[in-house]
Amino acid sequence: MLAIMLMFLIAGTVFATGEVEGASTGPVEIEFWTTLTESDRMATLQVLIDTFEILNPDISIELIPVPENDMASQMAAAAAAGNLPAFAELAAETAVALGVEGLLDVDATTDFINDLGKSRFYQGALELVGVGDGRNYYSVPYHGWIQGIWYRADWFAEAGLAAPDTWENILTAAKYFNQPANNQWGILIGTTAEAFTEQCFTQFARSNDAGLFDKDGNLIFNSPEMREAIAYYAELAKYTPPGPQTWRARDYYLEGKMAMFFYSTYIMDDLAIESVAAGSLTGENFEGLEGAFFDPELVNNTRLASIITHDQPAGYGVIDTLGFPKQTDPAATAAAQKFLQYLFTPNAYVTFLHMAPGGMNPVLPEVTDNPRFLNDPKGVYTHYGPEKLAEITGGLESIQTFGIVEGNRIDAASLIFAQQILPQMLYAITQEGADIDRAMAAAEAAMRDLMD
Amino acid sequence: MADVAVARPRTPRSPKSLTPQQRDARLGWALILPAITIIGLLVIYPIIYNVYLSFFDVSLMGANTFTGLENHIGVVTDGEFWQAVLTTVIYVIFSVLGTVMLGLGVAIVMNKEFPLRGVVRSIILLPYVAPVIATVFAWQFIFDPVRGIFVHLTVEVLGIVQDRFNLIGNPKTSIIVAVVYSIWKNFPFAYLMILSRLQAIDASLYEAAEIDGAGAWHRFIHITLPELQFIIGSLVLLRVIWNFNKFEEVYLITENVKVLSIYTYLTAFTGSLDLGRGATLAVIQFLILLIFIIYYVKKVLKW
Amino acid sequence: MVVQSKNILRRIGFILAILAIITFSLFPFIQMLSTSLKYPADWGNPSLIPERINTSAYKELLAIGQPEPDISAVPESIRNLLEEEDITQEQRDEILARYVDTGDIFPFLTYFRNSLVISLLAAFMSVFLAVFGAYSFSRLQYRGRSLIQRGVLFTYMFGGILLLIPLYKVSVQLGLLASPTGTFLALLIIYMVQTLPVSLYMLGNYFRTIPYSIEEAALIDGLSRLGTIRRIIIPLSMGAIATVFIFSFMIAWNEYMFASVFLKSFKNIYTLPLGLRSLFDSQHLIWDRIMSASMLTAVPVIVMFMFVQKRLVGGLSAGGVKE
Repeated sequence: MLAIMLMFLIAGTVFATGEVEGASTGPVEIEFWTTLTESDRMATLQVLIDTFEILNPDISIELIPVPENDMASQMAAAAAAGNLPAFAELAAETAVALGVEGLLDVDATTDFINDLGKSRFYQGALELVGVGDGRNYYSVPYHGWIQGIWYRADWFAEAGLAAPDTWENILTAAKYFNQPANNQWGILIGTTAEAFTEQCFTQFARSNDAGLFDKDGNLIFNSPEMREAIAYYAELAKYTPPGPQTWRARDYYLEGKMAMFFYSTYIMDDLAIESVAAGSLTGENFEGLEGAFFDPELVNNTRLASIITHDQPAGYGVIDTLGFPKQTDPAATAAAQKFLQYLFTPNAYVTFLHMAPGGMNPVLPEVTDNPRFLNDPKGVYTHYGPEKLAEITGGLESIQTFGIVEGNRIDAASLIFAQQILPQMLYAITQEGADIDRAMAAAEAAMRDLMD
Repeated sequence: MADVAVARPRTPRSPKSLTPQQRDARLGWALILPAITIIGLLVIYPIIYNVYLSFFDVSLMGANTFTGLENHIGVVTDGEFWQAVLTTVIYVIFSVLGTVMLGLGVAIVMNKEFPLRGVVRSIILLPYVAPVIATVFAWQFIFDPVRGIFVHLTVEVLGIVQDRFNLIGNPKTSIIVAVVYSIWKNFPFAYLMILSRLQAIDASLYEAAEIDGAGAWHRFIHITLPELQFIIGSLVLLRVIWNFNKFEEVYLITENVKVLSIYTYLTAFTGSLDLGRGATLAVIQFLILLIFIIYYVKKVLKW
Repeated sequence: MVVQSKNILRRIGFILAILAIITFSLFPFIQMLSTSLKYPADWGNPSLIPERINTSAYKELLAIGQPEPDISAVPESIRNLLEEEDITQEQRDEILARYVDTGDIFPFLTYFRNSLVISLLAAFMSVFLAVFGAYSFSRLQYRGRSLIQRGVLFTYMFGGILLLIPLYKVSVQLGLLASPTGTFLALLIIYMVQTLPVSLYMLGNYFRTIPYSIEEAALIDGLSRLGTIRRIIIPLSMGAIATVFIFSFMIAWNEYMFASVFLKSFKNIYTLPLGLRSLFDSQHLIWDRIMSASMLTAVPVIVMFMFVQKRLVGGLSAGGVKE
């Protein structure tokens, strides 16, 4: 019986190794891990891969979807097993954290960026993935999104409220629209212990000129400005639907139960889908549904406030990068570089960005002049107009994060981000009722621990 | 097939020269060996590997640094770790008690004849046979603070609670949902095991007791329970082990019930990916369970 | 009179108990069915009865009455991309066909088959090994027996998460994960080994409750040890074996974590839990589809168990003892 089992194992092993050996004489096979798990986006990526493979018959690329929240653990498992993909899509902060761990091929990345031309990138985007020395890079920026508060302009107009672009305006509106008795809520800000929460909070902290580090890398977290921002955030959390919430709660907005929500410009794409759906389904069919009225006008009544002002104006966004995890076979990295070169050719780039118009914005300013880019399949750019578009892509230049202080890249900020110290603190304060000063002291201790 | 191979071993010695005890011993080893080999390869090796890792600061790409007991000391002096231990103990106690008690109750009800019993028995198995991931979405929807039926019933229809609440999200109450979910998911297993034993109880025992004038309660305490003692004892043991290490059933339904397995997962795989610390946690988790099991087997089950 | 009304009360209590059990077991499935049939606009409505029935999610998942792929709907950027001169018309058409063919967004039957095959095989192998192993340490005397008996259960106490990395590492080093067959095999053995300790333990316990006298008589009649296992132990333990089988089957049927790490590269051998998860990630605003996929996942299992039910109950009571 044992013999049978062993035979199974051996047969499987021989079979598998046979395949691997066979592969080495054929084209270079590489894996491309993407966090774009949506089926339509996968289809577009596949077109890009198919086209590239025809032009480069010696390279074969396998596309593998990895949910964003699983990326770190999957990378860890792969690294431990010596099985890293040659090419992967990583948010800038994740890329820096993995890079600091030594998982990414810094030389291949830097060579690539230099070959393509450093000056062609938005410098703000490049800064986010720079190694501290200012010459090398962890990963290649590819596209980015801007965050802001999306709100019901019709509700605001009816109530005579000003757009939510300052602390006072946001709080006033959140209070006004928050009517739990009617199952209507003021605002969605992140209150779970994950990245979304840190993204929402960063914008408030920066608008109050609060940071984690000074430009020399000294920890200055425990400041009056930071405390003020945290207290404000905790106050705002009272007007968010009960319990810890994350970006998925934006569905409440789409159901007409919420006045404002923090979200990236990806919502432009989602709202476009929504308006298509609305075409076949009007509100008249649902008159009996109290509070669940489907509003076909939702798209037209939704506005974005991307800059929040208090002490100073602050914008926030995330750059998505494409990185080269370390390989034992240099041919694999070379193949990945070649594919990325292809992805930066104008037609391929526009195709990629059109997966989510508004959500995916170019990191090369030259692309916005390309008429093909402006003619997106869902008409999002036409709908929001060139002015909004300029605001969004321009915003990529001025993303304010805790990791860049007066032009200096602070690695420790990425580690703090990866460890989710700030979201955990905000979760403790808003959900577990922790005292602000004590929660801040605990967070500061955790940060110092990490830096030792 | 194995029949022939083992009864007539291909050794030069005739089997007749072996004593019956020796033959039993040979057969015993032959029968258990395949199972032991596989378990040894696939479970013991990883355990040893983890114990080994726990002494290192693990680097994913470079060499590991030996740090001695630093990881272990770090874990036991961490308040969060003890919080996770407490959460785990609460989760295990309530989910195991609930599962076994409900399983017992349902088994007793199902042991009686009634119309459509076959259909009802199938229905009861549903929670157990549906994949966890298929059912968690429905559970999350039920407890959603804005559109869930549970909040609608308690707040708007019955008015028991004043304000809308998030039972599944609030860190103070989410463990309730996790426990109820575990009971819901696993009571059919307990019920199956208990029922199979119930049906094996000799009916004449009950008849004799009835003739002696014993009431239903009396019969339950003096006949049913003693007969079930062994199966319930095993059931508790198994469920404690399972629920202690449970990951998916907790993590997929709510991430903020930080039982040890989730705490370990978060430590090892999120943030800075601390595999050494994660391995240490797994080893300590193993030791805690081991101590409990030894105590339980010796003192409670008295094996 | 008193006895009668007491009986009626008991009867009502009994019926209420059964109703409560049914509601408790079924409610989440009712919610699942309800949401799967609602339009998105109706999700916010707590009522379980859909305002209007929406079957589009089921139609989409089962690929019924879906519009024909439309080449003209291909975004212009993609058409521009394919204008590359090195691409032949033939290749262009092929790529486009692949793009518009959204295919099975949830190849339910494939996933179902994968789950069924791996779960049945794992359960069968686990029970097969466990019957002999459990007989060995519950009936035969030899040195090291009690060590094995205890040791087997102890190995089960090590949480699954941390087995993940070592097992993954070994599988990669053996080259198993390079092919779908190897990957499937690796996962199969892992599932089997995850249930084996408990199968051994449960069957061992059960075998001990079978009176040794029955077996002794057979041995005196000249039956071999293995003969008694086949002719006496297995028939007498059918109920327990069925329970252990179901248990082993369910472990593999439910498993998500190992599957997500091991099967990642081969979509064709995804199991149902992984398929459901990837469906959840494949689109936004997905509650109707995820709930109908959940229903589709649950129903065949329900039917299967209804079918097995009779045999199962038969098996449970076939322990040689009358009910």
